[in-house]
Amino acid sequence: MKFPVPVPEIKTGASRHVRCHPCKEKDMVKIDLPKIRRDDWKEAMLKKMAEMLDKHRSLRLYLDICVKCGACADKCQFFLGTKDPKNMPVARADLLRKVYKRYFTLGGKIWGRANEAEDLNDEVLEDWFVYFYQCSECRRCSVFCPYGIDTAEITMAAREIMAAAGIATKYVTEVVAKVYDTGNNLGIWAPAWIDNCKFLEEDLKEIEGQDIKFPVDAVGAEILLVPPSADNFANTNTMIGYAKMFHAAGISWTTSTYCNEGGNFGMFLNYANMKKVNNRILEAARQLKVKKVYWGE
Amino acid sequence: MGAKLLYVYLPYISAVVFIIGAGYRIWLWGKTPVPLRIVTTPAPKTRGGVLWRVMGDALWFPSLFKGDKILWLGGILFHAFLWLVILRHLRYFLYPIPGWVEGLQTIGLYAGYLIPLPLALLLVRRLVTERNLYISILGDYFALVLLLGITISGVLLLLFFRTYVVDVKDMVLGLVHFDPRVSEPHWLFGLHFFLVMVLLIYFPFSKLMHSGGIFFSPTRNQRALFEKRFVNPWDYPVSYNPNNLFPPDKYSQELAGSREGKKE
Repeated sequence: MKFPVPVPEIKTGASRHVRCHPCKEKDMVKIDLPKIRRDDWKEAMLKKMAEMLDKHRSLRLYLDICVKCGACADKCQFFLGTKDPKNMPVARADLLRKVYKRYFTLGGKIWGRANEAEDLNDEVLEDWFVYFYQCSECRRCSVFCPYGIDTAEITMAAREIMAAAGIATKYVTEVVAKVYDTGNNLGIWAPAWIDNCKFLEEDLKEIEGQDIKFPVDAVGAEILLVPPSADNFANTNTMIGYAKMFHAAGISWTTSTYCNEGGNFGMFLNYANMKKVNNRILEAARQLKVKKVYWGE
Repeated sequence: MGAKLLYVYLPYISAVVFIIGAGYRIWLWGKTPVPLRIVTTPAPKTRGGVLWRVMGDALWFPSLFKGDKILWLGGILFHAFLWLVILRHLRYFLYPIPGWVEGLQTIGLYAGYLIPLPLALLLVRRLVTERNLYISILGDYFALVLLLGITISGVLLLLFFRTYVVDVKDMVLGLVHFDPRVSEPHWLFGLHFFLVMVLLIYFPFSKLMHSGGIFFSPTRNQRALFEKRFVNPWDYPVSYNPNNLFPPDKYSQELAGSREGKKE
């Protein structure tokens, strides 16, 4: 039988070796997580999972109602790119679903094998660590799912469950810890931020011949601009663009050294850190007494 | 004794399991809070728009149509035929038979004859596509084979092994009015009836609950009201970790003018 959709060939385990660097103790102590993987990681993860099932309808519902129709399977760029079947959204969710079935559903508790339920063991944990960090949470699968099952919700839950047991990746935890120390993902300290802004002012004076300001921590400005921190550091053309636009429009604006990051890596780690990182924007807006926040990311 | 077990005890057991089981699952979804607005865009801004979107998803599967045409065809035919068949079967449960059930008789019969075809299509596409074979588990095949068993036995009852439907209706009405009467219809009817009871018992524990769950899906039943703040029902205040070098009180000190004293 010939199908109109080309069927990507499956290569089992094709990207299982692509593994993120594990988190470091120095970052974990700054983001309210266990310093190292807990000895009772299994119990800690199951406890967190039970808590999350009661707090997130999306998680419980999406674990329950997937019919494995396969509509999402060829929509994930990670599957199309790696050909690893565990990167199909449905199979990725199954990594969590089989543990959910084993510990939280009647069918899985009574007759685990028939229900594809599986104990939470070292091998499953390794699969979780590898494949739940090979999802970019883009939510493309949810567009095509007949029930709107959002694998990003399941990825986020799995990462939060792992984080509760002290299991995370270095990239994400390091960035979140940096936000709490410096206000941004890149780790630009306040003096450097101010210096960069002065440098851009001088540059613009030379190029445009006008005094275009890059205000920092200006209390009482109308608008707080929250750019991606890279705009002040690498993609400075974007930062120049903001300044020119505000200058031309005659709007008073400012950036904040407390919160100069529009990206939120808490989303890739857990709810508590996502909330804390976002809260910095509110806090900066309150302290600077601005009227509006512009999100530049 | 066997007949009494099949036609009296089993129907009541399966009805209780189905109603309590499915009700519990739906109650559980309903009471679990939704902490964030996660609606898939483009999303409707009004309640009417949400109703249209959810009903559309439940009735003609637009998301699936975007994703997989063969699957959409199999799915929509199966579900449409299933509804017609179920509604036609109401004539065995109601007395007198309402006019609209009478009106569905012919189309319901044709749906009944054809329903094994989309089921077979759904089964075959699981087996011939490598990735679908990979994700399919025992439960997926069990549900399809069970439904094939029910529908094929139903078609055979219509075509070759015609049961005396007056007896069947008498038995069903007896069950409905809690006045069960044991009857001895054809063994094939017994099989048809038994498989339906198995389906009812299996239903609440399985993926078949998608029929209720689709109405609870937060990516589909939320509005895109970004002007209004979405409040998390279990929201909590933020606490600060003593290991963090840049807490809010330090920022207020800096804003108050102590920046000059800082080492650059």
